[in-house]
Amino acid sequence: MSSREKTVGECIGEPEWSEPVVVRVLTSGVWLLWLASIAVAAVYVYPGTTLSLGVEGIVAVDGLTVVMWSVVTFISGIVHSYSRRYMSGSRRMSGFFARIFAFTLVVMVLVASDSLALFGVAWLTMGLVMADLVGYSRGWKQAQKASRLARRYFVLSTAFLGVGLVSLWFGTGSTTVSGVLANHGAVSGPVYVVGVGALLGAAAVQSALVPFHGWLLSSMTAPTPASALMHAGFVNAGGVLLVRFSPVFTDSLVVMTAVVAVGAVGAVLGKLMKSVRPEIKSKLGCSTAGQMGFMVMQAGLGFFSAAVTHLILHGFYKAYLFLSSGDRVEHTSPGEDERASLGAGGIVAAVVVALLGGLLFAALTGKGAALDSGLVLVLLVVLTAAHATRDAVRTSLSPGVRFVAAPVVFLSAVAVYAGVFEAVTAVMEAAPAPTAAGLPLIAEPTQLTAVHVVVAVAFVAAYVAIEFGHIRRSDRLYVALLNASQPSSETVLTNKEEYNEY
Amino acid sequence: MSTETEAKTETHGSVETDRQKEVLEAVKNAASCVGKAWPLHSFVTANPLAGFEDEPFHEATERAKSIFGAKGYPEASVLRKALEDGRIEEDILRRKLSESGYGTELEPARLLDGVDEETETTDPYPEEWEEVDAVLTKWLAVFFDQGRAEWSMPNREEGFYAAWRGVARYDGQLPDAPDLPDSPVAAVETFVSEYPKERWESILRSHFASLPGWTALVRWRAESDDAWQSEYPITLVGYLAVRLAVTDALDAPIGVEVDDETKRESGGEKKLLRVWLEAWEQTHREKLTDAVSSEAKGTTDTKKRPDAQLVFCIDTRSEVIRRHIEKAGDYETHGYAGFFGIPMRYEGYDSDVAIDSHPPILKPEHRVYERPEGGNPEGKEKHDLWSKVGATTRRLAESLETNAATAFSYVEKAGIGYGAAMTARTLLPSRVYDVSDAIGSRLPGTEEFCTQTLDEGSCDSVSSEDDLPVGMSLGEKVEYAATAFELMGWEDFARLVVFAGHASQTTNNPFGSALDCGACAANPGGPNARVLAAICNDEKVRDELRDSGIEIPDDTVFVAGEHNTTTDEITLFDRDVPGSHREDIEDLREDLREAREGAAAERAGSMRATEEGTREVERRAADWAETRPEWGLAGNSSFVIGPRELTSGVNLDGRTFLHSYDPSTDPDGDALEAIMSGPMVVTQWINSQYYFASVDNSVYGSGSKVTQNPVGNFGVFQGNGGDVMTGLPLQSLDVADDEPYHQPVRLSVVINAPTDRVREILEDNGSLKTLVENGWLRLSVIDPEKGNSVVHYAESGFEELGVEAVAESTD
Repeated sequence: MSSREKTVGECIGEPEWSEPVVVRVLTSGVWLLWLASIAVAAVYVYPGTTLSLGVEGIVAVDGLTVVMWSVVTFISGIVHSYSRRYMSGSRRMSGFFARIFAFTLVVMVLVASDSLALFGVAWLTMGLVMADLVGYSRGWKQAQKASRLARRYFVLSTAFLGVGLVSLWFGTGSTTVSGVLANHGAVSGPVYVVGVGALLGAAAVQSALVPFHGWLLSSMTAPTPASALMHAGFVNAGGVLLVRFSPVFTDSLVVMTAVVAVGAVGAVLGKLMKSVRPEIKSKLGCSTAGQMGFMVMQAGLGFFSAAVTHLILHGFYKAYLFLSSGDRVEHTSPGEDERASLGAGGIVAAVVVALLGGLLFAALTGKGAALDSGLVLVLLVVLTAAHATRDAVRTSLSPGVRFVAAPVVFLSAVAVYAGVFEAVTAVMEAAPAPTAAGLPLIAEPTQLTAVHVVVAVAFVAAYVAIEFGHIRRSDRLYVALLNASQPSSETVLTNKEEYNEY
Repeated sequence: MSTETEAKTETHGSVETDRQKEVLEAVKNAASCVGKAWPLHSFVTANPLAGFEDEPFHEATERAKSIFGAKGYPEASVLRKALEDGRIEEDILRRKLSESGYGTELEPARLLDGVDEETETTDPYPEEWEEVDAVLTKWLAVFFDQGRAEWSMPNREEGFYAAWRGVARYDGQLPDAPDLPDSPVAAVETFVSEYPKERWESILRSHFASLPGWTALVRWRAESDDAWQSEYPITLVGYLAVRLAVTDALDAPIGVEVDDETKRESGGEKKLLRVWLEAWEQTHREKLTDAVSSEAKGTTDTKKRPDAQLVFCIDTRSEVIRRHIEKAGDYETHGYAGFFGIPMRYEGYDSDVAIDSHPPILKPEHRVYERPEGGNPEGKEKHDLWSKVGATTRRLAESLETNAATAFSYVEKAGIGYGAAMTARTLLPSRVYDVSDAIGSRLPGTEEFCTQTLDEGSCDSVSSEDDLPVGMSLGEKVEYAATAFELMGWEDFARLVVFAGHASQTTNNPFGSALDCGACAANPGGPNARVLAAICNDEKVRDELRDSGIEIPDDTVFVAGEHNTTTDEITLFDRDVPGSHREDIEDLREDLREAREGAAAERAGSMRATEEGTREVERRAADWAETRPEWGLAGNSSFVIGPRELTSGVNLDGRTFLHSYDPSTDPDGDALEAIMSGPMVVTQWINSQYYFASVDNSVYGSGSKVTQNPVGNFGVFQGNGGDVMTGLPLQSLDVADDEPYHQPVRLSVVINAPTDRVREILEDNGSLKTLVENGWLRLSVIDPEKGNSVVHYAESGFEELGVEAVAESTD
């Protein structure tokens, strides 16, 4: 073998591209923010602590703030670290990091705002930064159209928010969140209706509830990590708004019931739209619209800390799915899965585990322990437990795995959820705030109304219709769902030569 | 099968009249402007301009510009950089420029000023078509879906046209429900009947070219016997009928024609770019042939029996690992098409889909199953348990996510798990590799307890699914073994012969299959290697081979293996190796480990490594945030057909396909003919895909991975949807936005054989000759009968270097 070695046309030497310094700095920065948030949370829950951060009339750091800080900086930290490798080589990488970092800061300001004006400004800024990320590719016409569309929606939501905040200011004479909440009883009549309705509208747009989901389903021109941040951070703003002003909402059972209805409709429609979409990211978009609907419904049922818990856990779930969206290309064959029959043992197991799951959930979280709106949530846990057990039992695994392992896993998952729920509730409760009256509510279950019954029946009906395929008989419904979940035509790349990555 | 007949109905509709036959003919011709595209789970690197290969390269790129609005040449900045770096030799460039009538007073680089603006492309089709495309792509996406949507398009089994007709009346995007005939041909006929017959083809071509990605997919699917196609048929005419109906319903123009002839002959900026490209190619080709021919002249070593012979795929990535293996010990390495000559449809033990594990230019001839009949029942049990638990968990999660009533509760109960996984995968990617590696090494692979059904009559003799024979006859086995040794020109065998297929290992990568073995149609090559090794170990096969003059010594053992091209690890499937050869295997393993470290370090150097070689490539294999897990075939530029002695002293930097060939054992040229009409054509496909995806990534590639949206298990969209992106993504081609890795040059093929032999083969094979004459590849010969001097093929045929080379036309 020859010892000399000539090289012919080596491709390139050492690559020349190097990571901009600002990328590392901002990534370290966001993780430091996370550590700081955790530290503040730790101090707040420490028994007997008297620390209370804030600037009179402008910023007030309470339990909700600390919870959201910890979560947003964590998700953002993951997105920063992920993007250092994922976006490597991008010409505008510094600009991307500047935007996701700025977004993080704006969200932190939003959740800490005590001033109504600051709250509104942060709300709008957050939307503008996010819309800009949707149009990250400047030379790509469709991305710019999508960005413009998103911006229009966010201006609309800010207009709603403006009307809501002005009404509250008008009704209470106060320019701060804490002031409004201290005097919320003073707001009544048309001012109350307009104010609360406008706030609900703002939340619905920001959380992309049907029929305001158009911007979200046309936003797939955003780089994947920006989408992760959008679906795990941005859309949460609707929930934060409802929780922040929760005392105002709970003043009226009618309003709360309306919130439940809006949320439930969004939840079911979002899920149905998801079922007809073949595109991975678009499916995730529909799913987010549905999950946000559910979160709003939880708030409407009076379980505010549960809604916040849902935001957090959904954030993990959805960020994960976006960041791994490239995994979803498999070689499959047409045709349905064949499954073993359920058998009597399976039915018994499903019923037993479902009831156990429901009981455990009610016992550990306190939701549904009384005859109130919490029963709706328990019902969904029972359905899920039954479904999970039934599917596990139907597999060809050994009986030990099917009848023991599956229920144990499911019941442990309920327990883990309860743990997270209790922790979130504890932080939200423990934090001292400038005025006690300014605190958002944790849980204030409402009494059951006919609407609640309708919602419960609707969920069961949806379950049955999907499970047994009744729903697929309507071609008309299929086309309606497909069109409702279609991105805006002008944001669709029909001429490939118009694509431009920069 | 009833679907078969439905497929036929969809194919032909009811063609009743001669006029309808003419419509069908026009449809077929019109669609040929678009190359085929394979679904993403089996990404075949094909030439996007395959439909133009019967025309000269430079005319084809010009026509493609008119029809698709696509660029055909590298951008000025890429060319300038190549000149700066010496990849384009200035002397060659200057000479070629002056031959083409460009003045010598300007610096060559200055000539390129403004050339990018001149090549700027625009959409050749009317604006009203954007709405048509939007409606059409919506329906195509749900029709093509391969199992992503839980609720699929209704009545897909009736075919695209009929299914669409069924739902169109509910589609609010169409102003009024179209009234259409049952047969798609009749529908197309009604829409084109107002135009004269001679315009039909060019009108229909515009409609096909408006969404080239979708047309390419339809073309592939309509001609394949894919399971999805037999279940849910679509045809070109059905697709076109829907398109024309939508166009009509939206009041958009139908009779649109694009002039692709006028520009075709014109020169302008095109001619300049052509000269630059040719100068680049000539620089590369001269460097290569110089290096290789001097090696050829220098080799006179007498062969001693090596410790092992290892056969790798011709893939460019094999070149790197082969160099390092040869350094690690007394080993001989060879190149052979990575499907090892076995045209089989293969179904692995764990898989419920059959894959065509052979080059897409062939048809499958055998069906081979992997069955758990190889002993080791404990291994099987363990494997089954864990794969079942995995599958059940995934299916359960999917089912819970799907139902509107359970999805919310599921997300709450599973959220923490997702959060933990997200944290680990983002912050500790190397640890994730270690964990999955540890799990992988504890779980028995299927090859440890399964055998492949190679013998005839080992089970049902004919597969029920597709009527292919299961297994193969003794005669066929002998033929496959003999072909391998004849093509590679083998006469001697070591104690150990390894057939190493190859596969990649990446995560979160929609283009994973593009990194697998191209000769196995974008699948892992291990199963094919196992088939050939088993054949060659078969005593009956050896007896027959002996009779035909191929003497395999009794102490020679064949072993299959798989080269992981992402981590450069080589796994040997040594279950059936006899005790007498255990030690040889262990020694080889040791040396392969050493070779792997060298190869990984070399490759990491070209990838902005942050860790040392082995660790870096392992991280890339497991890192979900990595968009450039390995370079794949990027950089490919040449194909050398000849003995390894020609290239063994040269570092070819993973840019060269290598096929072993010995001109002295192939006097009648049969082996060379087989290599030229098989592997050479495939490498030209691969090279063309990389070339075009590099010069116009929007039209021929799939853009940045960062904004891709995978759809229906068959493709990716950019952003919200629209046309399917069918080629390689940017990250497969560049290091950074302004730093290309792949160098867009046409394939230089170097053959070590007498010139006359090559000339005869070209004369006998019209399509090969066309390919070479039309400049889709650049052919050179190193002629052993003329003292290994270099002969280039140019416009007028072969030209001796030095005499006529100067006169080589730049046209």
